[in-house]
Amino acid sequence: MLKSIDRPTLIASSFIVIILLAGTVYTVITQGNATFIEPAYLLQQLKIAAFLGIVAAGMMMVILLGHIDLSVAWTIAASAMLATAVGGAWAIPVGLGVGLAVGLVNGIGVAFLRVPAMIFTLGVNAVLRGLMVMLTGGFAPQADATKFMIWLATGRPLGIANSVLVWAVISAALVFMLTRTPFGRYIYAVGNREAATYLSGINTRLVLIGSFVICSMCAALAGLLIAGYSSKAFQAMGDAYLLPAIAAVVVGGTNILGGQGRYSGTIVGTILIVLLQSVLSVAQMPEAGRQVIYGLVIIVMLLVYGRGSVVRA
Amino acid sequence: MHSLTQAPFLSLAGISKRYGGVRALANVDFACQRGSIHAVLGENGAGKSTLIKIISGVVQPDEGTITLDGHAVTFPNPQAANAAGIVCIFQELSLMPDLSVADNIGITSPPRRFGLIDRRAQRRRAEELLARVGCEDINPLMRVRQLPLSRRQMVEIAKALGRNPKLLVLDEATSALTAADVDKVYAILHGLRDAGLSLLYISHRMHEIDALADTCSVFRNGQHIDTFAKGARTEEQIVQMMIGREWRNVYPPKPVRNERPAPALELRDIGWEDRLSGISLTVGRGEIVGLGGLDGQGQRELLLALFGVLRGVSGEIRINGERRRISSPAEAKHEAVGMALIPEDRKTEGLMLPMSVRDNISIAALGSMTHGIVVDRARESARIEEIAAKLKIKFGNIGDAVATLSGGNQQKVVIAKWLLTGARIVLLNDPTRGIDVGTKQEIYQLLRDLADSGTAILFYSTDYDELIGCCDRVLILYDGRIVRELEGADITEANIVASSLNLSLDAAKAPHA
Repeated sequence: MLKSIDRPTLIASSFIVIILLAGTVYTVITQGNATFIEPAYLLQQLKIAAFLGIVAAGMMMVILLGHIDLSVAWTIAASAMLATAVGGAWAIPVGLGVGLAVGLVNGIGVAFLRVPAMIFTLGVNAVLRGLMVMLTGGFAPQADATKFMIWLATGRPLGIANSVLVWAVISAALVFMLTRTPFGRYIYAVGNREAATYLSGINTRLVLIGSFVICSMCAALAGLLIAGYSSKAFQAMGDAYLLPAIAAVVVGGTNILGGQGRYSGTIVGTILIVLLQSVLSVAQMPEAGRQVIYGLVIIVMLLVYGRGSVVRA
Repeated sequence: MHSLTQAPFLSLAGISKRYGGVRALANVDFACQRGSIHAVLGENGAGKSTLIKIISGVVQPDEGTITLDGHAVTFPNPQAANAAGIVCIFQELSLMPDLSVADNIGITSPPRRFGLIDRRAQRRRAEELLARVGCEDINPLMRVRQLPLSRRQMVEIAKALGRNPKLLVLDEATSALTAADVDKVYAILHGLRDAGLSLLYISHRMHEIDALADTCSVFRNGQHIDTFAKGARTEEQIVQMMIGREWRNVYPPKPVRNERPAPALELRDIGWEDRLSGISLTVGRGEIVGLGGLDGQGQRELLLALFGVLRGVSGEIRINGERRRISSPAEAKHEAVGMALIPEDRKTEGLMLPMSVRDNISIAALGSMTHGIVVDRARESARIEEIAAKLKIKFGNIGDAVATLSGGNQQKVVIAKWLLTGARIVLLNDPTRGIDVGTKQEIYQLLRDLADSGTAILFYSTDYDELIGCCDRVLILYDGRIVRELEGADITEANIVASSLNLSLDAAKAPHA
């Protein structure tokens, strides 16, 4: 059974425990309480993690292909801004439609125009930002999130925040896709060797486009939830999610060059990143120090993974 | 001239190496002399590559000692072996495609001036070395990417010579050479031998070993079976030592036909850019048609054009009499066409190396093994097991990375992948390159079995023996055109060679008359 849990997931999980223990020692000494292991705190963190988790889930599909999507930051913002601007019943479809459109553009750019994803999605990100500034005049959007968006992000009819449930549903769907459907298998195959996959008679362009669409739609959905959570859309609301999402995927053991990685790793990676950020801020570490530690943790974890399996290519 | 009693230049004693649970070498004693070309023979997985890697410092032995020129040595890394004068030319080319030929040749120790690379000296040196291997026609400023595979291999040899080897190891270093280059390489290697170098030579081509080696060693299953002077054993004995079983006729018998079978694949006037023109041919059901000729006359392009990889192919393709447009491998694979391509380079075009044997075998046929949108795992496993058993693919665990398999077994995985799709037209692009004799024989038998069950096979090979032994008909390409069709008893080496050079057949017969 040990073989069914992969190494990165195990390492990242142990690291989560270490972070919590270290944080608890700190709070016991300085404040006399054990905030970090209280269920209320952990549930609150899970709720925050859901936003990052959904972005990371989509990002993982693209990273598995050996590509990357740098446009998620403003896909999040664009989806949220347009959804709140339209409002009413159309808010959610419009937001997801933004994701679909961005995903198609990214996918076509990478699959047909063969522009490296890093450059193409960076360009798309800039275009989206420009469009949103044009739309809002650069001011904070005035429209509020719809009731449904707020409910989706913060309602808790089942005792757990809906955002966490949304994350769970998305996760289940992606795990199913990755492990049980041909499309999932093709994603890994393209990430390992696109030429061999193409010559095996597989429509690799469709795989690329499909994965970019999944990524952008996940980001768009996260945008809707974040807008619901803060009851507004705001400028640059997605910027804080781009690097953490990539970090969560990579810390979770997905090979940044594509082809390898398990979805469970991405979940653990997301939780690790969120807890790390939270513990550092509760410990009143100055911003500069937080950045240093945050970056070091990611580098150290990648070094640890690198010691493991080396696959000849 | 060089007796075996003379103190060897390099000797290994009691060398063992394991990779995980696999024993790659077991207690091997091995020696090689100065001024001698020493061939190392064995099937894939016999331990030849591990032997070479140990000698060149790429891996370290678990046990045993290495003695070089009378001194015990250890090579913790390839640089140490290099410094001791051991230089390798590996099967997988080690050139950087986007650097120039001169940059590649000088990569390990570029000539310097004031600490900077002296480009002019580097270019001169590259020119000298290229001249030494008889390739004055290669411009040292050209990028390696622009050279065909056979020229790259010559550059690789020039690069190795530039490092002043005392022991030169050639691992399948001639597998991509054209016939004309092979002669040049032979002359160079003989020259190096006469200058007192030790050469270790690994090849699967028996006639090369005949022409080249002074001493032969046979390996099997990680053990050193025997070492003998050239000519001391017959070819049959050697092959038997290598495969450890009875050696029968390599090529299965060809069927006798009175009339052409119904065509499965018909091409009319196929052209592509300036590489292919006016190609018309048919391949009947149950027929194996060979593509021959010198390397790079459009054979590869023809197979890629058929498989829908190339853009802008003109002409007409008919499958079972119906005209089809094939614009991608996906369309070629589609049931209505039922085509398969075993590509040239299995490592980059045939396989996803880090993925499992299972995933590699099922990838092409995955679409047909679903239940709704879900992969039917039970059916997938059953079909994989069946095909793996049929092709006798050897692997530890079906979930192991395909990279851990030997070359021959990797190629079988590529073939298995396509057989699962139920292809009725099979295109093969030099499928036996770098594969051991035992597996080659199995592949020949498999091709004939496929043909007997009605599959149409179009088979490009750089090995004339294969074309003669396997094919019902052979088409010779020259400069992108079919210049001759040989059938039955006309498929002879003399005819193929003459046609490849676009000579008339009489010219080929003349010397014998």
